[in-house]
Amino acid sequence: MINWKNVLFKIIILFFSLLLIGRMEKSYSQKKIDYCFSCHRANNDESAFLFSKDVHFEMELSCADCHGGDPTQKDMGDAMSTENNFIGVPVGNKVSELCSNCHIGEYSALYNSVHAKYSIKGEEWIVQCTTCHGIHNITRVKNRISPVNPFNISKICAKCHSNISYIRKYNPELPTDQYEKYLTSKHGLLNSKNDPKAATCVSCHDNHQILSKKDPRSSVYFTNLPKTCSYCHSNQEYMSEYKIPTDQYEKYIKSVHGIATTEKGDNAAPSCNDCHGNHGAIPPGIESISKVCGMCHAINAELFAGSPHKKAFDSMKLPECETCHSNHDIIAATDQLIGISSTSICIKCHSNEKLPEGYKTAKKMRELLDSIVALESTITKLVSDAEQKGMEVSKAKFKLRDIRQIKLEIKTVIHAFDLSIFEKKTTEIFNLINEVKSQGEYAIEEYYFRRWGLLGFTLIIIILAVSLFLYIKKLENKSE
Amino acid sequence: MRNKVIRDIYRWFDERLNLQDLIQLANKKYVPIHRHSIWYYFGGVTLFLFIIQVATGILLLMYYKGSEDLAFESIRYIMTEVEFGWLIRSVHSWSANLMIFCAFIHMFSVFFTKAYRKPREITWITGMILLFIALGFGFSGYLLPWNELAFFATKVGTDIVGVFPIIGKPLQLFLRGGEDVTGTTLSRFFGFHVAILPAIFIVFLIFHLILIQRQGMSLPMNIDQSKEFKTMPFFPNFLLRDLLLWLIVLNILAILAVLFPWELGSKADPFAPAPAGIKPEWYFMFMFQTLKYIPAKIWIIDGEVVGIMLFTIGAILWTTIPFWDRKTERGQKNLLINYLGLFCIIYIILLTILGYLS
Repeated sequence: MINWKNVLFKIIILFFSLLLIGRMEKSYSQKKIDYCFSCHRANNDESAFLFSKDVHFEMELSCADCHGGDPTQKDMGDAMSTENNFIGVPVGNKVSELCSNCHIGEYSALYNSVHAKYSIKGEEWIVQCTTCHGIHNITRVKNRISPVNPFNISKICAKCHSNISYIRKYNPELPTDQYEKYLTSKHGLLNSKNDPKAATCVSCHDNHQILSKKDPRSSVYFTNLPKTCSYCHSNQEYMSEYKIPTDQYEKYIKSVHGIATTEKGDNAAPSCNDCHGNHGAIPPGIESISKVCGMCHAINAELFAGSPHKKAFDSMKLPECETCHSNHDIIAATDQLIGISSTSICIKCHSNEKLPEGYKTAKKMRELLDSIVALESTITKLVSDAEQKGMEVSKAKFKLRDIRQIKLEIKTVIHAFDLSIFEKKTTEIFNLINEVKSQGEYAIEEYYFRRWGLLGFTLIIIILAVSLFLYIKKLENKSE
Repeated sequence: MRNKVIRDIYRWFDERLNLQDLIQLANKKYVPIHRHSIWYYFGGVTLFLFIIQVATGILLLMYYKGSEDLAFESIRYIMTEVEFGWLIRSVHSWSANLMIFCAFIHMFSVFFTKAYRKPREITWITGMILLFIALGFGFSGYLLPWNELAFFATKVGTDIVGVFPIIGKPLQLFLRGGEDVTGTTLSRFFGFHVAILPAIFIVFLIFHLILIQRQGMSLPMNIDQSKEFKTMPFFPNFLLRDLLLWLIVLNILAILAVLFPWELGSKADPFAPAPAGIKPEWYFMFMFQTLKYIPAKIWIIDGEVVGIMLFTIGAILWTTIPFWDRKTERGQKNLLINYLGLFCIIYIILLTILGYLS
């Protein structure tokens, strides 16, 4: 019995095979005469075989477009003669220069990139177009098999960037763990789950014009980095499926860190990557927030770790620094944060009824801070007044600077939430305030003393001068 | 009883020093009285201010430390910690300026009354040398507090010295003690200010004073020396008048020092950029301002070189005036000299004002 199902299946297979052969033959026959390709293919040359799948082959470029020679000549000698500009296998920068015949934009980007800055023996750039795109099997970026496809690009970069001995030769300070970190990052994890929107190396570093992170033109230069991250993270539509906020950039640029980075150009201030990691970017969990902040604010973190708040925060699962200072929109910590006023953070948890010990401590701390501010203002005015009067008050001014320094230290010490430690520091300030006050008062007193002294001296001189004048007159009258 | 003691002391000294001769000499000395007599006092005032300079300078020397690291701090210490240190320093600074001001008045009064004419040519030249040394005192002393303004003004000043043809560069190296103004320059200027210049100054000052005592006061040309003219005894009349003026000057000095204490500024930082508006001391201002107006190139010569050369030639001509002003020497009125002096005064005042306004 005839199995019609089987017959029908075979007919369909045969039909599609014929269709495919016909299409191939058609495309091949439609091409210009290219004896280079036909001969090399006939000789089972792997390059020719690979080239048949290349995007350039699809675009009807011939071997001669890169290698030179005359593909219409059947004779191998004629086709590969120097008269016909045969160049053979291009080497060194010649490779990228050949690509630039069509891809001039990409070439000039590469030319300006860090990859063209370093060279092998001073003869050729360390990266050519073919280093990333392949040689005879170049496919479109969207093609999953392309080495520069978003799902493959990190592996291509890692070929060199994870090679310790290779990187050491050109840039010994450059780390080689970027790829490993990337695989653990949120971006890397999403990429591995075939999410095409997840950031890859080129999303942040650009694709052709890759610049050193120290280069102010670089997209990862510290002042440009927040903007680079915000390209995706501030795009509500793009980020909608991830269900995370998109206002981080907006908050960050207004924060004390953002202002320091983007407006003041302070490279010690943190950018996105300093807290989240760069290649291993992932949101810090509740546990690790204080570790992240503690990288810079080491003493604050250490004091907090020894404070009574540590245990309390942990038990309530509150993020340590973020609870009081927020995360992206951290504002400059002023005295207003401490105490029991409406602007204070302490009252969020402490009141006269609830946790009253902390409430009293906060109240006392704020009282001390307020009195320091008031006294500092008074003595600053006193010293300035003495200076205006022309008195030498540089010593008092030095002490005023010391007061400002200790005030900064107080902002750190406050993280111990220990009144005795806090009072030790404030006592230092009060002592200095007293010294400046007495120096300022002495300067003012001295100012008036000098004026009274001058008046006395002038009176003596006048008396002496008048007496002398009268004596001279008497003497002259006598002689006349 | 008291008079007897004084007489005994006087006799004791007289037996040994023959004071009677000096008293007789002083009694013989008379000062002419005329409508220009007022100018006679400015030499004495300049001398008085010099004495104040020496006295306050010695007191400052007890605390001042002439090194790059300590100079500024030691002056601050003098001004803040040393009892009346602020007054001594302020008096020293003000007195220096008043001394140069009085020396200029003294010089111009001698110039216009033609007191430089025979036989007082050497007195004039020694006086001019004293003025140049006084300017040297001012220039070297200005750097000693090692503050920002003084540092850069010295840099500019020594730069100008370096412009002088042939000897400019070696002289600049000698003054700076190297290519730049450094701590070595400070040590050098300190040495000039407290040892070398005072030693030279004292020699010329004594010579200058001896000449004045030997030759007496010069009479203006319009007074006929052959006729009787009014005089007053030098001792005690003129000396007491001098003393009266000195008292007034002392009081002016005290008022300036107390009401306008000399500022210290901020410590010199050789690596910091020069602050805007660097200006030399007022007595160098007219030269500094002139150099600013001279074009960068005059024919093939640098404008600065031309300026420096002109000032040098001017100073030489001014100093040697007794030797080329033949008309005055013959007893004739030389109005050209008066106009020249007047031009110089107007030029100095005008350029100084422009210097401070610019």
